[in-house]
Amino acid sequence: MTDHIVLENVVFTRGVRRIFYDVSLRIPRGKVTAIMGPSGTGKTTLLRLVGGQIVPDSGRVWVDEQEIPKLSREALFDVRKSMGMLFQSGALFSDYSVFDNVAFPLRIHTDLPDQMIRDLVLLKLQSVGLRGAADLFPSELSGGMHRRGALARAIALDPKIIMYDEPFTGLDPVAMGVIVLLIQTLNQVYGMTSIIVSHDIAETASIADMVYLISDGKVVGAGSPDHLYKEDSPRVQQFIKGLPDGPVPFHYPAADFEDELLEEIPNR
Amino acid sequence: MWWHAIWRKPEWKNWPLIVTQIYRLGVLSVVITVMSGFSIGAVLALQGYNQLVRYGSESALGLGVALVLVMEIGPVVSALLFAGRAGSAITAEIGLMKATEQLSSMEMMGVDSLQRIVSPRLWAGFIAMPILALMFSVVGIWGAALVGVEWLGVYEGAFWSGMQDGVTFSDHVLKGIVKSVVFGLVITWVAVFEGYDCQATSEGIASATTRGRCIFVCFGTGTGFFPDPYHV
Repeated sequence: MTDHIVLENVVFTRGVRRIFYDVSLRIPRGKVTAIMGPSGTGKTTLLRLVGGQIVPDSGRVWVDEQEIPKLSREALFDVRKSMGMLFQSGALFSDYSVFDNVAFPLRIHTDLPDQMIRDLVLLKLQSVGLRGAADLFPSELSGGMHRRGALARAIALDPKIIMYDEPFTGLDPVAMGVIVLLIQTLNQVYGMTSIIVSHDIAETASIADMVYLISDGKVVGAGSPDHLYKEDSPRVQQFIKGLPDGPVPFHYPAADFEDELLEEIPNR
Repeated sequence: MWWHAIWRKPEWKNWPLIVTQIYRLGVLSVVITVMSGFSIGAVLALQGYNQLVRYGSESALGLGVALVLVMEIGPVVSALLFAGRAGSAITAEIGLMKATEQLSSMEMMGVDSLQRIVSPRLWAGFIAMPILALMFSVVGIWGAALVGVEWLGVYEGAFWSGMQDGVTFSDHVLKGIVKSVVFGLVITWVAVFEGYDCQATSEGIASATTRGRCIFVCFGTGTGFFPDPYHV
């Protein structure tokens, strides 16, 4: 199996809502793969399936030839040591300084001496440009710095896979450019398999080798960014061009507007 | 999974986490426990003296106050204080960690949050609660002695010797300790469970904190009397 991560016929339901109907995708080793799609299509859910935080109703999820939903709790934690995840919120530990946040996985999973941990943490912080902010606490960081700190922590153990959950959301153009550059550099330097979940088309397409477009619980487009730009499918074109209405409707399903305006005030 | 967190013997490298939690849950609750213990002991002595002196039995004041404090009021009231101060803090802290994805990020790093976050708090509550209850009772007895002996003039020898004769470790003190150990376990268990299980919203955290406290108040006041009916 040359692909690093494989999802086969995954079906997943949350409550009464079916998130994925029949999703199959392959994420190649050492490449940057983007998972794109409108908000609420389950892009983050897909990352949680890969990380084993949730289990599919049916179908298979393979990471490095190991079937994630079938692993024991201990085995799953072992697999996760080779994964890094950048959460949308950053999720830095609020009681720890930036330095201690980055040192956290090293202190837990290795027996390295303090001096070596310090050097490794400073190296990671230097690579994201936050060495000078090592002693700051998360509450003292800007949004972009927070995400860079979280990125340094995610790569602390030099994982083979790194997952980015909406890495560009809420950032100013400068911070966004910095994160784009960092993702690209990390992929090239460390050869990590990178998965970016995003709906920022231009930034993601600029660094992705492969893009999967998900909508309505299915994969509706797959290929290189150039391939997707040329795709005829109205669903793909609506997303790529950012059209407000189309196969993905602007309006949430509702009763007829005129009827609703004319009816008596309902008991809500 | 929860039993795994509770009964698994803590690993040696996790002891600093347990010590930190004992400090945060136990040591920081000492002031409120000591203050309440003192005032409750003093009030018990004052009201007890007023009744006993009518029958010329004020020399039994020390024994009465000690039994009530060590077996009943000490474990229950100190547990209610612990639930209010430490239990609520645990629920809110874990709930907020869940809402800000800190627990998820820990799990994604291959760190078992049950072992890292839940287990140290459970063990800390288990260890700190009986010590706080004993502290409550000791300070309460001291408050009672201050009011009864120093202020109201009960004979000091009768106050202390009555206590020495009537209170035994196995029959009385041990029962209070067992009660407070159970309360410590229940408070921290309910608190961590509510935090872990809460909805990751501000309202969800608020209701989890309130619910945790209410559950324990019902449990504590409802079961506080249970081990002793044969003593009546």
